[in-house]
Amino acid sequence: MFIEYSEEQNMLRDSAERYLRDNYSFDSRQAAVKQASGFDADQWQTFAELGWLAMTFKEESDGLGGGALETMILCEQFGKYLVLEPYLESVVLVGGLVEAGAQPAIKEQYLAGLIAGELQGAFGYLEEGGVADPTYVQATAESSADGFVLNGKKTVVLNGPEADCFVISARTGAAEKGSSSGISLFFVSKDAPGLSLTNYKTYDGRSASELQLENVAVTSEALVGELNNGFAIATPVFSRAMLAVCAEAVGAMDALLTATVDYTKQRKQFGQSISGFQVLRHRMVDMFMEIELTRSLLMATAWKLDNNAADAEQCVAALKAKVGKAGRYVSHNAVQLHGGIGTTDEFSVGHYFKRLAVIGVMFGSRDSHLSRYSQLSTQLSVEPS
Amino acid sequence: MTDNVFRTDVRAFLAESLTPEIKRAGELMTSVFADFDATMDWHKTLYAKGWVAPDWPQEHGGTGWTLGQRYIFQEECKLANAPALFAMGLQMLGPMLIRYGTAEQKAYYLPRMLSGEDVWCQGYSEPGAGSDLASLMTAAVRDGDDYIINGSKIWTSYAQHSNKIFCLVRTSKEGKPQAGISFILVDMDAKGLSVEPIVGLDGAVEQCQVYFDDVRVPAANLVGAENQGWDVAKSLLEFERGGHNFTIDHKKQMAKIDRQASTQLSADGCLWKDNPVFEAKLADVAVDALALEFTELRMKGAFEAGGNPGALSSLIKVMGTEIGQRFNELSVEMMAEHTFVKQLDALLPGFEGEAIGPSCGLTTMAEYINNRAATIYGGSAEIQRDIIAKRVLHL
Repeated sequence: MFIEYSEEQNMLRDSAERYLRDNYSFDSRQAAVKQASGFDADQWQTFAELGWLAMTFKEESDGLGGGALETMILCEQFGKYLVLEPYLESVVLVGGLVEAGAQPAIKEQYLAGLIAGELQGAFGYLEEGGVADPTYVQATAESSADGFVLNGKKTVVLNGPEADCFVISARTGAAEKGSSSGISLFFVSKDAPGLSLTNYKTYDGRSASELQLENVAVTSEALVGELNNGFAIATPVFSRAMLAVCAEAVGAMDALLTATVDYTKQRKQFGQSISGFQVLRHRMVDMFMEIELTRSLLMATAWKLDNNAADAEQCVAALKAKVGKAGRYVSHNAVQLHGGIGTTDEFSVGHYFKRLAVIGVMFGSRDSHLSRYSQLSTQLSVEPS
Repeated sequence: MTDNVFRTDVRAFLAESLTPEIKRAGELMTSVFADFDATMDWHKTLYAKGWVAPDWPQEHGGTGWTLGQRYIFQEECKLANAPALFAMGLQMLGPMLIRYGTAEQKAYYLPRMLSGEDVWCQGYSEPGAGSDLASLMTAAVRDGDDYIINGSKIWTSYAQHSNKIFCLVRTSKEGKPQAGISFILVDMDAKGLSVEPIVGLDGAVEQCQVYFDDVRVPAANLVGAENQGWDVAKSLLEFERGGHNFTIDHKKQMAKIDRQASTQLSADGCLWKDNPVFEAKLADVAVDALALEFTELRMKGAFEAGGNPGALSSLIKVMGTEIGQRFNELSVEMMAEHTFVKQLDALLPGFEGEAIGPSCGLTTMAEYINNRAATIYGGSAEIQRDIIAKRVLHL
């Protein structure tokens, strides 16, 4: 059952927690935010040495063969310590797509580097005007003599400035409303002629790019997954990515609750610790309950993904919707209970809040996942069990 | 036996044993209690089968089932619309007597509880002692081999149908309020004891006030030592909080909502199930119910591993009851004016007339109204939050 971890999984959680506690202070994190790359390259290298980057790749790819549970365990700790390094973008998204669908030549050239942390990736799948819908794709890839020519724009490509390579969605067939058909994925190296980036920082301390593709020529080997059906591999990778950010959210919420409990015990007003006031005590209990409900969904979802349960996708939608709600509740109240100090850049609480704000809408907002949950419930109930 | 075989056996038994009348009583439940006579008929059927107290140790009349089997049994009973058995004896007092009772008490009371010969009610709350239970004032004064009890108990569910009551009484005013409380068993037909029914908001009587006017009770009826009643009661409260499985209730509520949403029209002429605003609201509650289901599994896992789920049971009580109330609200919105119709006769299992309005809305308003009590009884939502604040967050 999903409530039991294996020995290895317990070790992974403990060692990740220990390493980050001892080596990933909030102050050093804030120093890394100010660097051009937006993260600490030495940390990234250490993550690789600890086996974290290889953890969820298959053994035949020279990975360690972990599954969704391992993604969850690592990302929960990343969330707890507000880790900046692009695990989601480079490992979960681009690593996942390349492993699942890249052609042998590309895999050979890039996969080992992605697993070893020597190369970084970024996934360009969003376009201006339709960021809530990853099937809104206007960029085009036209067949040419020896491959494809890509044109168009991609917006908010997370980790774009540091990426050595990109996976980019483009239209190769007619658009159908609400359908992912006609969309293909392409592997594009950062130095491909015609590819230009506009880089910037994001509010949660990371970096991203706007991508412009002008007659970017790629060979037919650049196609990742099936032609016109890139979502066949993108959908499970998105599910894993949602699990990853939701695990991060649970870690971040945990950290906020701990900080809030500690702070309200220390903070004295009206001659007593404000943690003695019942209105604040109950608020913190409500934060706790939201976190525990989310944690239960998270653990169950990871287990269901690893076991290919029929309702795994439904659980992902439920989880993402729950994180949208719980993340707001917990972070808003953490800031509120800290008072003025919670609204400042120098204090950690506000940074957790910003990360949770980002996670809440990434890969679909709460509302979109609630409606996905309803649709999947209907489908499941009509299918014979 | 595999769980699937067990489930099949339980289903077969339910299919042959649940009479239409008993089943109707289960369908018409508007609170945690079903019609008294039908419930006792069902109690006796289960007793004859040896399945009346699955949670008890086998030597005292339990079934010897695993936790998983007990869960399946509960689930199948509820899904088949079997009435819930009265919990005050089997769920609350029984396990407590097994733990704290004397050999004589066990030998006398447990078999009568199992057979349904005794029907128990719980005398805890008083008009002046609700959430602050330890401030209770009903006094038991020693007089030779007896105690003489004076005072009053309130919110005593189904006291009008019970022949026994277990009570917390004050035997000392020394020290902390908790230190002077004793736990005692009383016959309802004792001289000086009287019961006054309390009409609930739905018009039915589930609660009572019980008055004690010089009621004489043998001292042998004490459970645990004199002035040690608080510890006994506390263990019982944990049975009350941790023993309930909310997921099954929520699944039943969702099944009812499905029936309502796929037969009733919303304002724009489409079925409620095709109304996107309603769907989103329903999904929001359903997601929380799913999260609670997995939390209950986590708690079950902790039990099975021999651990103490501790304050997780408070979390489950709070969230389980609040989620149930949100489902009630959705039902009321869908059934709208149909919920206005007060037809208490039609809620009785023996009713042979024709009910007004759609059958899927017959119980909706009464369920909604009655379920407001769920966040009050068994330790209010606020008391549960106090417990979590203190025991989990160490505030």
